[in-house]
Amino acid sequence: MTFGNRSSNVTGTKADYYRKRRLNVLFIIAFTVLAVASFFITIGFGTYHISLFDSLQVFIDHLTGNIRDETADLYIWEYRVPRALGAILVGCSLSIAGVIMQNDFRNPLAEPYTMGISSGAFMGAILSIVFGISLIPFLSGIWGMVGNSFLFSLLPVAIIVVIGRFKKMTPGLMILTGIAILFMFSSITQIIMVTAPAETMADAYAWRVGSLDRIRWDHLPVIAPLVIALCILLWFFYKRLNVMYAGDKPSQTMGVEAQKTRMVTLVLASLLTATTVSFTGTIGFIGLVGPHVARIFVGSDNRYLIPAAAAFGSAFIILADTVAKVSGPDGLPVGVISSMVGGPLFIWILVRQRKSAWM
Amino acid sequence: MHLKIDGIDFSYTSTPVLHDVSLELEGPRFVSILGPNGVGKSTLIHCINKILTPTKGTVFIDGKDVKETTIKDLAKEVGYVPYSANDTFPLSVVDTVLMGRHPHSKWKSLDSDLDLVYETLKRLGIEHLAMRSFSELSAGQHQKVMLARGLVQEPKILLLDEPTSNLDVRHQLDVTKMLKSLAYDKNMLVIMISHDINIAAKYADEIIMLNDGTIYAVGTPQEVITEDNLRVVYGVKSKIIDDDGAPHVILKDAIPMNEDIRRADDVEVGKQQEVEAGP
Repeated sequence: MTFGNRSSNVTGTKADYYRKRRLNVLFIIAFTVLAVASFFITIGFGTYHISLFDSLQVFIDHLTGNIRDETADLYIWEYRVPRALGAILVGCSLSIAGVIMQNDFRNPLAEPYTMGISSGAFMGAILSIVFGISLIPFLSGIWGMVGNSFLFSLLPVAIIVVIGRFKKMTPGLMILTGIAILFMFSSITQIIMVTAPAETMADAYAWRVGSLDRIRWDHLPVIAPLVIALCILLWFFYKRLNVMYAGDKPSQTMGVEAQKTRMVTLVLASLLTATTVSFTGTIGFIGLVGPHVARIFVGSDNRYLIPAAAAFGSAFIILADTVAKVSGPDGLPVGVISSMVGGPLFIWILVRQRKSAWM
Repeated sequence: MHLKIDGIDFSYTSTPVLHDVSLELEGPRFVSILGPNGVGKSTLIHCINKILTPTKGTVFIDGKDVKETTIKDLAKEVGYVPYSANDTFPLSVVDTVLMGRHPHSKWKSLDSDLDLVYETLKRLGIEHLAMRSFSELSAGQHQKVMLARGLVQEPKILLLDEPTSNLDVRHQLDVTKMLKSLAYDKNMLVIMISHDINIAAKYADEIIMLNDGTIYAVGTPQEVITEDNLRVVYGVKSKIIDDDGAPHVILKDAIPMNEDIRRADDVEVGKQQEVEAGP
């Protein structure tokens, strides 16, 4: 960045602008460092007791191919590392999907599940848990369930896209349609659960709350490429999303077709959410709060907001999951902890912040 | 640049708004659109920049039908400053104004774009707001920021929807005067919707007066701002005095709402005019 070669009367103020940008980059780096540090902390926690330092040693030993403690290696490498990587991907995807939804709907209350994605995913999972149905042929067991919930979670946005072909959908109309679909799905799910055998209830309930303990190594080759590709793809919409802050009509006069951009990013964000939700169940809260916390630090410029939200979301989910793992004799689902710890934390941030970053 | 509106009609579902509006304008020129509430001023502007599509008729910019022009290409030609801001998630003032560069943006254009943004903020006297958040500003400051956004877009035609409605008198005069000089400095066609007849009369090269969805009168301020026209179009009794060559309106009284303002002998005045304007 060089800005000493321009007319001197404007450089002073332009320097302020560049300074703010560099500060934003620093925030993103800080959140990323926090996420990486959280990764090394979380692999030290779980039902198998090992010190933080030893767990790090085991991790390094495995990477260098010099495994000294087989048991520790099994726990850390087979369970904790994929779980921590899963946490990073979940945090990234839900936070970025939250940013996109809030932008698209011009609404600070929007979050990844606003369109009924979670209710769709749950219904898909229930079909598999209760009836053992797999909609995608050749898939069974856990993969059948994942496939079901992935397909069902995309139904609400598919319905909205189809309606949008016949009728002009305003953001408000889309949210209302999403909520209507959400209620429809929940009622169908309720009927299934009422009539379902009692022994399947525990599984259904466990899915509902959202947990990372189902993440295994063989899931990551599916989740990771999808999440990474979609996140990068969505980031490239940052300019258009920024212009859309001005409203649909003004943004059109600045060369951005708001409704088209909205539909495309909405579908991408739904795919992103569906990818992780179908493996973990509904982990709430982070998709709403991740974007807002990031907004407080870097502002609403999507160039910085999207990566900042992703980094903060990852760190938050890893830390929440670390607490979840050591809570109670067998650990708790991360969804419970993220809301229980995150709720008061978020209120504290809202009260403490000097000026409103939104509304 | 050359703007030709060829017989456009516009209706919102069942309510007709514009009827057979034809107009030809050529810049550099500062044009003001006058007319009472709900007469179709904003609708006319929105038909020019493709926010609305006329139900009948065509709009040509430099001989090209806007229907055939892509949104992005049109954004390079036609800028728009809306009446009010409703940004949900506020950016800084600089980032908000930078949006205007979007249709021109290239990979490495930030630095020169920033120069233009800061120059424009300075020109409008709001460079001290540069790093403030858009949401913290007053209504008048919002208007200036949106004006800056329209200016950095460097369009050939700039459309403004009551750009000075929230400004105090000094800034109203200053902004309107600036818009006029801008038209000639940057070789633009500036078209502004206005509710302030006197400011329009003082600065506009040309005034378009709308009534009932049609063009009631077009011409220089002297030609259009007359006691008769104001009575028919606005329903007010007024006295026009001469202020160094520009008409100046002194409002006397409103014609009661239940009285028909359009008496039989006025009809002839309403005959539509079409104007070929040159620099």
